[in-house]
Parts: sequence; C-alpha cells; structure tokens
Amino acid sequence: MRIKKGLTGLIVGALMLGLLAGCVGKNETNGGDNGGGAAGGKVKLTMWGAVPPENGPQEVVDTWNAEHPDIQVEYVRFVNDDDGNLKLDTALSTGQNVDLYVNYTLTNLDKRIKGGTALDLGEFTDYNIDEKMGEDAASWKVDGKYYGMPTKKNAAFFALNMKALDQAGLSVPKAWTWDEAREYALKLKASGFKYGLVQHTASYVDPLDSVLVKNGYVKADGTSNLDDPLVTKWLETLNGMMKEDATTPPLGEQLTSKMPVENMFLGGESAMINIGEWLIRTSNNMTEFPRDWKIAFAPVPRLAAQEADMVKSGGLGDFIAINSKSKNKEAAWEFLKWYADGGMMPMAAGGRLPSSNAVDQQTAIDHLLGDYADSYDKESLEFVLYGDETPTFVRSIAQEVVDLRAQEYEKFFLGNQTAEVTVQNMVKRHNDWLKQNQ
Amino acid sequence: MHKSWMKRQSRLGYLFIGPNMIGVLLFFIIPAVYSFYLMFTDYKFMSPETHFVGLDNIRRMLNDDLFGVALRNTFVFLLAVPVSMGLAFIVAVALNKSVYWQKTLRALYFMPYITSGVAIAFVWMLLFQPTSGPINGFLRGIGIANPPGWLSTTEWSMYAIDIIWIWFMLGYNMIIYLAALQEIPEELVEAAKIDGARPWQTIRQVIWPLVSPTTFLLLITGLIMTIKNFGIIQAITQGGPGNSTTVLSLFIYQNAFRYYEMGYAAAISWALFAIIMVFTVMQWLGQKRWVHY
Repeated sequence: MRIKKGLTGLIVGALMLGLLAGCVGKNETNGGDNGGGAAGGKVKLTMWGAVPPENGPQEVVDTWNAEHPDIQVEYVRFVNDDDGNLKLDTALSTGQNVDLYVNYTLTNLDKRIKGGTALDLGEFTDYNIDEKMGEDAASWKVDGKYYGMPTKKNAAFFALNMKALDQAGLSVPKAWTWDEAREYALKLKASGFKYGLVQHTASYVDPLDSVLVKNGYVKADGTSNLDDPLVTKWLETLNGMMKEDATTPPLGEQLTSKMPVENMFLGGESAMINIGEWLIRTSNNMTEFPRDWKIAFAPVPRLAAQEADMVKSGGLGDFIAINSKSKNKEAAWEFLKWYADGGMMPMAAGGRLPSSNAVDQQTAIDHLLGDYADSYDKESLEFVLYGDETPTFVRSIAQEVVDLRAQEYEKFFLGNQTAEVTVQNMVKRHNDWLKQNQ
Repeated sequence: MHKSWMKRQSRLGYLFIGPNMIGVLLFFIIPAVYSFYLMFTDYKFMSPETHFVGLDNIRRMLNDDLFGVALRNTFVFLLAVPVSMGLAFIVAVALNKSVYWQKTLRALYFMPYITSGVAIAFVWMLLFQPTSGPINGFLRGIGIANPPGWLSTTEWSMYAIDIIWIWFMLGYNMIIYLAALQEIPEELVEAAKIDGARPWQTIRQVIWPLVSPTTFLLLITGLIMTIKNFGIIQAITQGGPGNSTTVLSLFIYQNAFRYYEMGYAAAISWALFAIIMVFTVMQWLGQKRWVHY
C-alpha cells in the first residue's frame, strides 16, 4: 500500500511537475532570468547526467565555472533507470531547463530525437566529431547526423585474476572463443575458486548482440534473425557452464540475490569477471576490497569461430545532446567541446575515459588507475582499451526486444524450456514486435 | 428573499468544495477521460505524431500472449487476499482475548504494513534465497530435500510474491477485524455459551456472521488494492524471471513508462478497470447471501 501510494504519487507528481514547470519555464524566459546574454552577460546552463555529482561531474562544472564567469553550468542528476529517464523526457518535452543532457543508450536517444528535443550538431562547423572521436563515433549517427557528441570510451572486457592464471599455467588471451573461455573457467575453478566466471546480467547478452550486429537482427526477408545458430550456441555454452561445469552461478540464484559480482571477483570467489571499465572504481577501493594480486584484462570471447567475424560490445558512450529548445545553444556548444576535449577528465577516475583524441591516452589511464597502477597488468589493460582493433558496436535495438529476449532466455536458464523452444519463442515474439512496429 | 438566501448558501457551498473539485477535475476526471481517448490512438510519449487507430490497441491486447500471462498472474496474485483475510481473522480472534504480550503482538503484526516497500523487498529476497536463505534452510531442516526455488523459478515466483503480500496485508486486515470484534455485544457470545456452543461453534456461527460486513469491506478493498498493486513486484522481481510475475498493473507500467506505448497502456488500463468493475459488481450482488448487517 505504501509503495503503491509512493509510486502513484511519483507519477502524479511527475505529471504535475510537468504542468507547473511548463508555466515556470515560460515565466522565466519572460522575466529574463534564463534569458542568456541579453540580461546581463551571464548565461546559465543546466546539464543533466546520471553520474552522481561527487563522482566527477561536480568537479568538472566547478572547474568550468571558475574559468568562465560568463557561462555558469549547473549539473542535475537523474538516475539512469526507467523512472529517471521518464523524468528527463518529461522535463525535455515540457520545456524545463535542460540545455545539455547525457544519453546512455541509442534507444533513449532515438525517442528524444523523434520528440524534437535533440539539436542537429551539423550546424556547428568548428569541431569535427568523426575526426576527434574516431570511427566508433559513427554508430551514434542517426540518419547520418550527429544529434549529440559521444564523449566516453566504452570498454567491455574480461578481468582476470592474474595470480590464479599464473598458477594454473594459463596465459592472458588477446582473442579467444567462448569454448576456450569455458575451458579457462573449468581450470580456474579446479584451482580452488568457487566460480570460474561471474558476470552482470547486463553483460550477459553482449555475445548475442555481437552475433546479431554482425549477421543482422533481421533477415533479408524482414523476419527475425534471432534463430541464428550462434544464438543457440550461446544459450548452450552458458547453460553448460551453469549446470554441467558449475563454473558460473545459476541464473536463478544470481537474480534473486542480486549477486554482487564485482565483490565476488575482488574477494577471490571468482577468477574471471565479464565487465567494463567501471570495475576500476571498485577495484581501486583497496580499503573495502584489499587484494594482493594483479588484475589482467582480456577481450570478451567470441562465439564465432573466425576472429575476423567478431564485433565486440564497446564503442563510445555518454552521448551528450544539446536540447534544441535551449536558449543558449552556442554557450552549450562551447561547454560541450571543452568537456569532450579533456574537461571531463575528473570523471576518468570513475572509469569514464575521454574518447576525444585531444586527450592523451597516458594521462587518461593515469587518472583511471590513480594510486594503484601497480595492481594492474598494464600491458593487457592498454591492449583492451586502445590496442584491440576489433570493430565495436553500441546496442541499438528497442527496449521491447531486449526485454522479450531476456524473458525467454531466463526461462531457458531456469530449465523451463529447451534451447529450441526458447529460440522459437524469441523469433515469434520478435516477429510480432516487428509487425507491430513496421 | 428566501430564494436568494438559498442561492447565496449554495454559492458558498460551491466555494468550499471548489478547491477540491478542481483537484478532482485536474487529476482524476481529465486524466481518465484523456486516457479513454488515448486508448484509440497510437500515442507514444516523446513521439511527435499521434494517429487515431480505432480498436487496434484492443485487438492487439487480445492477441498479446503476454496480456494473457499477466492476466493469469494477476489472478494468482489475488489468491493472497482471501488467505490473508482468513489468517487475519484467526489472529484477530486470538488477540481479542486476553493473551500474553497482546499489545506487543498487535504491533508486531501491524509492523509490515508501515514498513518501506524497498526494505520489505530486500528482506524477503534474502529470506527466499534458494540455496542459502533461511526459509529453505528451515525446510531442509524438517526433511524436505528439494525445497522450492521461490523467486528464482518461474513456477514458484508468483506464489512467493503471494506469501509476501499475505504477510504484508495481514496486519491491516487484522486491525480492521479487531475493531469489528470489539463491536460484538458480549451478550451474544455469552448467550451462545449458555446454549452450549463450543468455542469453535461460537466463532463460526456467531462471530463470523457478525463481522461479515467487515469481511465484505476487506474483500472489496483488498481485491482492488491487490489488483492495482505493482510496487512490491517492481521492487522484487521486475516481473521476472521470464515473465512469471508480470501482473496486469506491472504490464501497464512497463508499456507506459518503459516502452512509452501510452495508447496501448491506456487500453490495458481500461481492461483492468473493467475487471475491477466486474469483480466489485459481482460482490455487491453476491453480498446479500452472506453479509449480515
């Protein structure tokens, strides 16, 4: 009852806020409070992002504000979940003060572009996003245009317990298949770990997307391609690891206990973890997670037999858009360029490596590793961050498809249906969805 | 003269209920009417274009397997209501007599009802943990070799939610029943005793009929409250694993605020409204048989 009340309250509140803010927003522009340059030379920008202010953003805007008394930036945090994104979308579509905002998925960005709240950055000619950010930036283009700027380098990788690898006589792989990773997990478990591999549920599907980005989510005839043989391969590999090898936690157990996989890896319960650059935030916390071993890094394994067929999860992230209704587009643009070209550096300690080539790689890594650089295998880290030439992707499918897939493979891993039925159900539901959204 | 006084009076009356009426209009009536209209459109939040699509959303709903799943889960969820009421009645009868720790026990039973939902969710997730949780530890202890996986299996997850919901509602139902029990005239119970009724007979034939209006109230409000609830499920399972705990209200929430499919969500909302309506009407019609005022 209480929760229900709370949530209803939230929704009603959001609606009300929308209404009220609509009025307030208008008043403010009339009053000149937000009227930018005209009012007295001082521009106030509001930037919405999902990183807690204390993890870097506050330092970023403080630095900017100190250097630019004429353009003051305020950081507003929204939580990057359904409720948080709804809050941002409501703010955007009701004209509240949002000048810049960070998109974390293409799916969300797409909605915001359709809603006419993302500015086409093509109108600014003094910064070449493709040149600055490299090839990976292009996956954020929508209809060939940049409705924002990707600012962060995503990195998905396996982090490995190097001491355990050495003891088991295993080398740090630079490219490998899931079959090999499964072997690794078995050998590492045999050397005394509870699990060979743990992963976040969010990273579970990366191998699937790797396959489907390469081979297409949809076949040439417009029907679902979720029955690609490699999808079955993925289902059976992970299932075998859970049930036959017991080298990775059963999904049911992981879901119900909201398993803290980072802690398990750092605490020595698991020898490998499928994760991304945000691991460093936790692994640098030596007081809570002390360890006497180095962390090595390997690319995420591939399902395909051929190395040339691999496309890995990664690309760029933190795609910052300028609200097309903003009164201060020019000022927002100035800030955005500064932010991307190194202004965001205080956020590197939390794993957000700048993607702009205006930023020195070494400086970024130094920020990332902080005082504990010695506790990482630097060579393999540099390889997964900058050396690996495998093409990358950013997941771009609709939330509905992500969800329907998850619902079906969860049933499989819980033993409710066979791999064959799972694939059939996924395909059927995907086809239904395609029909609905053609 | 009289007429104008009446007029002034009623004008004053409207003035008093005015603020409240504006609130009702703004936040209940207009949204309700608007959502009825949305049901016939393909409105997607943030999307610039909206078209009138007639009955497409309703057709889609009827062909949507997930809608069927959500409907079935909702009915399983509703099982919690009578069970919780039955337990609450027993507890209330027990606590109505002078027993040790009476006040403390009452407070303890009521505690869940005033506890934060997120806290409840986390505690129960720990309790239900399939391998190391205390519930399965206990079940193994009394000789059940393969206790259920609760929230980690699709077969048991909805029942696990039921258990949590029963526990959550118990305190509220108990308090209302306690109030009803205290209203029962002592003479009636006494008379039954003199006539030689056993305690169980007294409860069944005297007390239970006398609290039937309360049972009726709790049943209607409980069913409505349960059918509308999604917060506790959202906090614990988000409708998973698979889609084994997706109830209708959660399904609406997901369509509206996760997929921004407002038109479709509006259609499901009205279906939910229709279901609640049918339930309530059925109970009103059925009450004559068993509710004694």
